[in-house]
Order: sequence, then C-alpha cells, then structure tokens
Amino acid sequence: MKPASEKNAKHNITLADLPVGASATVVKIIPRSRGEKKFADIGLVPGTELILESRALFGGLIRVKVMETSMALHSADARNILMRRG
Amino acid sequence: MGKRFKIALAGNPNCGKTSVFNALTGARQHVGNYPGVTVESKSGFFEIGGIEIELIDLPGVYSLSSSSPEEDIVFQELTKRGIDLILNVIDSSIPRRSLYLTTQIAELHIPMMLVFNMSDDARKKGLKFDIPKLEKYFGSPIAQTIGRSPGGVKQLVEKLSASLKNLEKHGVPMLSYGADIDDSISAVAKKIDALSIESFKHIPSRFFAIKLMERDSSTMKIPELKPAWAEAEEQIKHLSSIHAVDDTGTFMADRRYGMISGACRDAISMTNEKRREISDKIDNIMTNKLFGLPIFLAIIYAMFWFTFTCAEPFMDWIDGAFGLLADSVKSGWGEETLPYLRSLITDGVIAGVGGVLVFLPNILFLFFAIAILEDSGYMARAAFVMDGIMRKFGLQGKSFVPLVLGFGCNVPAIMATRTIESERDRKTTIMVLPLMSCGARLPVYALIIPAFFAAQYQAFMMWVMYVIGVIVALVAARIMKNTIFKGDGEVFLMELPPYRLPTLRSLLLSMWDRGKMYLTKAGTIILGTSIILYIANTYPEKTEFSKDYDAQIELVKNGSRLGENQLDVLAPILSAEQLAQAKDSGEISQETVEGVSAENLNAAQKEVLEKIVAANASVAALENERGAEAMEYTVSGRVGKFLEPVFSPIGFDWKLTTASIGALAAKEVFVSQLGILYAQGEADEESVPLREQLAKNYTPLQGFCIMLFTLLSIPCLATLAVIKRELNSWTAAIVEAVGLLALAYFATLAVYQAGTALDIGTKIIG
Repeated sequence: MKPASEKNAKHNITLADLPVGASATVVKIIPRSRGEKKFADIGLVPGTELILESRALFGGLIRVKVMETSMALHSADARNILMRRG
Repeated sequence: MGKRFKIALAGNPNCGKTSVFNALTGARQHVGNYPGVTVESKSGFFEIGGIEIELIDLPGVYSLSSSSPEEDIVFQELTKRGIDLILNVIDSSIPRRSLYLTTQIAELHIPMMLVFNMSDDARKKGLKFDIPKLEKYFGSPIAQTIGRSPGGVKQLVEKLSASLKNLEKHGVPMLSYGADIDDSISAVAKKIDALSIESFKHIPSRFFAIKLMERDSSTMKIPELKPAWAEAEEQIKHLSSIHAVDDTGTFMADRRYGMISGACRDAISMTNEKRREISDKIDNIMTNKLFGLPIFLAIIYAMFWFTFTCAEPFMDWIDGAFGLLADSVKSGWGEETLPYLRSLITDGVIAGVGGVLVFLPNILFLFFAIAILEDSGYMARAAFVMDGIMRKFGLQGKSFVPLVLGFGCNVPAIMATRTIESERDRKTTIMVLPLMSCGARLPVYALIIPAFFAAQYQAFMMWVMYVIGVIVALVAARIMKNTIFKGDGEVFLMELPPYRLPTLRSLLLSMWDRGKMYLTKAGTIILGTSIILYIANTYPEKTEFSKDYDAQIELVKNGSRLGENQLDVLAPILSAEQLAQAKDSGEISQETVEGVSAENLNAAQKEVLEKIVAANASVAALENERGAEAMEYTVSGRVGKFLEPVFSPIGFDWKLTTASIGALAAKEVFVSQLGILYAQGEADEESVPLREQLAKNYTPLQGFCIMLFTLLSIPCLATLAVIKRELNSWTAAIVEAVGLLALAYFATLAVYQAGTALDIGTKIIG
C-alpha cells in the first residue's frame, strides 16, 4: 500500500507536472491566473480529459492533446491548471 | 437588380475555412487589412442562382472572448448591422471543440448555417452525425463539405440557396446555460433592454448580458453598456453565493462545453475510435526531445537548397530576357530620337528593374517551400521545437519562421510576424528582422568577396556575413527584451494542427500572394530609385573637360590602325566575319582578342595581338578617365564628394559613399551604382573588370567594411514601409532606420579603425 501523502499528491498535481504520455482530468484553473479564459475557450475546463504528449527540449513548452487537438503551452501557465490523474 | 446578401464566414483556426472560402468565391477575392491592426481582411463575391453574395472571411478564432486582436475583429464584424447570414465552418472531425464557437454565434440570433467541413476526415474517424437532430438543436441547416476537394461544397451551395430565400424563418434558439445562470442572464438583459441602445437593436440584449457576465473586454469597451455593469457583477456575486459557479471567470465556458457534451451525446456517435492517429505518430518523432532539433535543421537546409538551386535556371532566363529587352529597345529606337529618354529607359529602368526581378524566382521558390511547411502543419512544430532556444534571446518559437523568411526577403518576413500574438515579441522580432541578410545583399557579397578574398576563403566569408547578421539580431533582441520591451510576455498558446497533404492550388495561391509584394517593390521603389539615380548619375552633364579626350583617343586609334600585312598575319586565327570587321574599322575589339585561343600562336601573331591589347587598354583608360571626370561633375559625384569626410573614417571614398547612399533605397542598387561609377557599363555581380577595379582601388579591409555596412543598414525602403505599416507607427520606422544606420556606421567605424591600427588587410592586392 502506498503512503497517504503520495496518494494525495497524485490527485493534486498540476498540468506542468504530468509525465509524458500520461492522461489526466482538469479539476480547476486557478482563478484570475494568466490566460484562464484563453485556456477555457480551447476546452481546458473542469472535467476535460487530456493527454500530455511531449515536452520541448528547452524552455518548458509542453504539448497537450485536449478535445482531440494538440495544443502547445508553457509550463509556467500549465502550473495554474490543477489535474487529477485517472 | 436584386439585393446583395452579406454573409460572414466564421470558424476556428485550421478548420478549413479558407478552402471553403476559395471554393465558393474562386478568384473574385479582395485582400486588405482591418484598419489599425495587422489582421488581414478578406472578402469575395459569388452568385447562386442569380443572387449576388458578398462573403466576408473572418479570422479564425476559438471564441468571441476578445482575448486576441482576431477575436476582437470577429466580435466587431459580427455585431455590425447588415450581416444577413453567418456561415459557421466546423471541423467536423473534432465537433466538440468546433461547436464551442457556434454556441456563442447562436447568441447573436442572426440566421446561421453550419458547415460541417472535413467530413471525409470525420468519416474516416468513424464519426456519425444525426444531422436532423443537430439542425434542430442549433436551429440552423447543416451542410457537409470537403472544402479541399473540387465539388466538395456542392451540398453547401444547394442548402445556402434555399436558406437565403427563407431568411426570416430561421430558428436559431436561445441555448440554455442552466436555470440558475439563465435567470441571472435575464436580469442583466432586462437592465440592458431598459437602456434601449439604438446601435445594437439588431442583436438580443441577452448576448451582451452573457458577455458582461464574462467580463469580456470588447463588450466592456462599449460605453452605452456601462450602466449595466453593476447588475452583471451583482449577479456573479449572487451565483457564487448560491454555489452555482465558483469565482473563476470561466463558468460560462464551463457551461458551454456542458451544452455541447449534451448535444454531442444525443446526435454524434463514434464507431471505430482510433486513439492514435498517424498524425500523432509522426509527431512523436518530429517533436521528440532528441530528434526534433536535427530534423528541423535538416528541413530548413532542404528548404534553402530548394530555393537557391532549383531557382537558378529561371534566374538565368530572366536575366537573359532583360538583356534581350534592353538590346531590342536600343536597336529599335534610333540613337537620334530622344536620346536621353532612350538611355533612361534602357540603362536606367530596364537595367534597374531587371536587376531586382532576377531574384523573383528565388523569392517565389522560397515562398513555395514555406507554403508547403505551413500547409502541411510542420511550421507549428518548428515553432514548438525552437521556442526554448529563441526564448533565451528574448524571442519565442513563433519568431523563428519569420526570421528564416528574412533570408529571402525582409518584406514578407515582417508580414509573417502576424502569427505572433504577443505584441512585445512581435515588435522585437520586427525590429531585428532587417538584420537577417536578405537576398538583396547577396549581389554585394558576390561582387566584393571574390575581389578581395582567395577562392578557398570565399564560401567562408559568405557564411561569416550571414552569421554576423544572425548574431547581431539575437544580441539586439536580447538587449531590447531587457530594456524597452521589459516584462512578462503574454500567454503562449498554439495549436499543432494535424498533418495534411497540401494541395497544389493552395500552395500556388499562397506563393503568389506573397510574391506579389516583391513584384510591387520592383514596380515602385526600384523603378523610382532607378530613375532618380540615373538622373543623378547623368546630370549636370560636363561639356568641357580638362583635356580633349576625343582627340587623344583618335590619336591612339590612328597610331595603332591595322595595316594590310598585320591583318594577313591574323587572318588564320579570325573568323571571316571578324576579319571583315577588322578590315573595315582597322581595329579589333578587346572581346575578339580575348576570344582568340592563346595556344598555337606564332611569334608574329603574338606580337600583333599584344600591340592591339596595348592600344585597346590606352583607349579604355582614356574613356574611364573621361567617365570619372564626368561623374564627379554630376549630382551623385557632388553629393559623394560632399559627404566624403563623414564616410572616410569608415573607409569609404566618394564613390563608395554615393553607392551606399543609393543603396539605402535598395541594396541591389549598390552594385549597379558602383559599376556606373567605375564606368564599366552595365555591371552586375559577375563583372570581372569591376572586381579588378575594386581590387586595384581598395584594400580587403575596405571590402569587408562595405559588406558590413551593407549588412547592418536598412535593406530597402520597402522594408521600412512595411515596418511602418505593421507597427502602425512612423516613429518606429524612423527609429529603426536611424538605429540601423547608426549601428552600421559605428560598427564599420570600429572595424575599419581597429583594422587600420592593427594593420589587418590594409594592403591593396590588385
């Protein structure tokens, strides 16, 4: 059995922390964070399932498949998107 | 005459909107710009069964949220009076994402028609649509199309014609956000109704109520709506107090995706869901951490190879064609009739414009290659791969493509920066872009490098020039980011559209759209500069010279006139035609002498030939001397002489100074101007005599300084004009021009002075 803290962390990670290839569900976008509306418009709203497809070599760009579309965004912004792993 | 209908075409980026637009309007298009912003506006005309239609292609957006200039434009256009119908293009292979915009458009309560585009992709994916059910849900007819294939919009045309006859009876519904939110919306809408705003009578107040509750910036900018703000805030507070929504500002988006989920569950089914498509597999390699960068570099290399190698034969054709044109004008137009106009047209206009048009194949091939990368979807991957590296220099992934385009021509490259959403990054990219060594600087390097550098260093020197440009650009970007454009950038969000095979038609269209700009430059700036420079180079004409050149030339010619026996000696090595000519004029041109093979000559022949060469050389020297004297007397010569004290610290004499000033209009002008100044007739970068002249008159250090100055100063007036337009500011354009000129001057000054002090390359080698 896994310790409770680790189990808890698994449910409280941000989009930036997802490993490549993992899928997870959006729980919440931190209110009034940068670009929250832009992200909501492309489908990053609570309940949406997504897959982290890849990470760029430098600079922290990540590629996410959301609503069957590949979107690139920065880890800095992805940290404002809270996820739950399936 | 019947009424002309106005239809707006709206949809997500990459939904195939442009192909639907092209399929409907064909060639009847008009491309322009929305005033004050850099978003392209496009409209076209077509006819269905006698009904005239104006189709307005709106920029691709995900939402009407006004979080980008494009969204703001779509908001403005759609809320304008006079739109009869909205064609909403949907990528039907990804219905959930695409219908999000539809839910907002429906709120405008303007007759709407849904275009389920890419229906072939949807079928392949196993998506099945219950069309009647969806038509009922959105209260709008639905046409299934394949915009990219010929005849793929047949159903759309049929349904559109039926809809236009029945516009009043549309049934676009009020989509529900759930009872709790709907009540709040109604309360705000009531307040707006009470304001009775004349200019928005045609749009339901509910639309603005929803936007106010989203705190949408386009809506907040409408002053008439200000009295309703308080109510909207009140309702948001109320909704969070009853826990209907949390305070995220995105609850409307939440609910919209909820609506779509509901609609999709009922009307869309998936039969054979393929989780991993081919596109994803390709992307696993293309954007791979390890392979991404090498693949990218290989693709860019291939693009340059294609541009420069494949365009070569076409360039030769154009070069030949302009030579032929000038010759035929010269021979068809007697020297006696309007001699000044004749020489202005042949030596000024045809040579000047031809010199620029020679690069058209290069430019078109480059744009064709870029269109392939764009239409296939690779460009977005390139931006993804390069983002990290570019960010280190204060730029970003989307800056990379315009910078690469800059190697071709700075003008379209600057226009390509429109894809960069962040205003700050876009400005930085535009400001450093002229430092990318464009095709117009190439002729200058091609003239200078072989004149001063040994064959084994020539390719290296060329590479050095490009690298200097790139390094200075990156350092400048870094400095700007840390000073005038300081602060956090905007949110970066970029779609990586699925890979697609580009259609030839769209590639050619996009190549032509951009190539046109280069042609316009040739037709306007280059044409004007050629005429002005020609006049400045010719007038005022000197009539009295320091010595009687004509007489001296005549003297040399008489002294060396070929006698009967000399001609007999040469007869075996000349063609019949050449011999006849020689007999006629008593002289043999330098060209003919050089054409004679040096082998198998007997001593007598050699002796005669040497005499001819010597005589020809003294005639040429006298002609050059006269030319130079005439030149100094002209406007160009006087300006050059006047500015010489300013330019001599960077190693320029008056001739280089005049050429550099002319080159401020366009870099290509430098070579032809220098050619005229050295009186070598029509010079181009292959002119060997001009190179010899340069090697005789300048040091390698001066040669390098010429190239450095050319690289760093503003490439051409067209670039300046496009910077002004894209940044919408004369100040920015002037700052750019002065800044680059100062950079070029002081960098060259430093190099020349340091080189002179350290005695590097200061010996004349010619």
